[in-house]
Amino acid sequence: MSEHHHDHLNATHTHDGKPIQNDEPPSIEAESLETAVRELLMEKGVITADELRGAIETQEQRRPELGAKIIARAWVDEDFKQKLLSHGDMAVRSFGVDMKPTELCVVENTEEVHNLVVCTLCSCYPRAILGIPPAWYKRRDYRSRAVREPRSVLSEFGTIISEDRQVRVHDSNADLRYLVLPRRPPGTDDWSEEDLTELITRDSMIGVSEAITPGE
Amino acid sequence: MRGPQDYGGLPAGLVDPVKNEHEPTHWERRVDAIMLLLFDPKRRLARVDESRRMQEALGDDYHKYPYYERWLQAITWLLLEKGVFSQEELDKKREEVRARLEAERNG
Repeated sequence: MSEHHHDHLNATHTHDGKPIQNDEPPSIEAESLETAVRELLMEKGVITADELRGAIETQEQRRPELGAKIIARAWVDEDFKQKLLSHGDMAVRSFGVDMKPTELCVVENTEEVHNLVVCTLCSCYPRAILGIPPAWYKRRDYRSRAVREPRSVLSEFGTIISEDRQVRVHDSNADLRYLVLPRRPPGTDDWSEEDLTELITRDSMIGVSEAITPGE
Repeated sequence: MRGPQDYGGLPAGLVDPVKNEHEPTHWERRVDAIMLLLFDPKRRLARVDESRRMQEALGDDYHKYPYYERWLQAITWLLLEKGVFSQEELDKKREEVRARLEAERNG
């Protein structure tokens, strides 16, 4: 079934716009297990081929651009921002996002605090908003060190947080997902909501970087 | 006691975000889609905590599995435990699939 969607699935880009191709086949062990499980599930009527195609499309549509729209709205609409910070799940519903069965906690970066999100135990992530987490988010190095030496980890992303700001690390879990509300960059007061979305990267919503400052 | 999944605070290497970044492969997307369906309200055949229990049961092997292979192994065990299919059915199907895939790869 993947063949049918081949071109569509390939039309993907990283958060900074560079296309990346990765079609390396998995080991025969892994592929045969996945195929066997999938075919058994279909034979037993647990899932259908249509549902599977639909699920792949759903995951394709969950991209950081959706998160950027939510953050841009919060930057221009104070009421929405307050709702997002106090009742995240409800606030994102107006963007068609259903967080169930998890809860959404949005944490705001300020002059005093920079927030960073990790899942030390696995890979919990606001997938309904940002899509599939990046590979480094799921790897041991990030999971181990983000809670112990966040400033060093941030520097590996090229992010230096000044010493007078506190770095607050949030450890996600099966029931609770975090999203960072980055600071609105200076010099963007007259920017439209739509233009602002261009400054909001996936990484800025995980907290490993800040939103893009225009001209830098 | 610290389980194999409990990485928080342990010494580890550089994150290297440029190297450790790729768009999901077709195979990864298929595993992801199967998971999405098993987790959905229509089926409710898996929950995050159940899947994690299975992954953590890997013990030291936890570290050896690439991410999606670990998830796939976990949901397979979960489906076996829930009786969605039997070990015999899985073994038979897998053998058949493997022969087919090998023929495809060599062809």
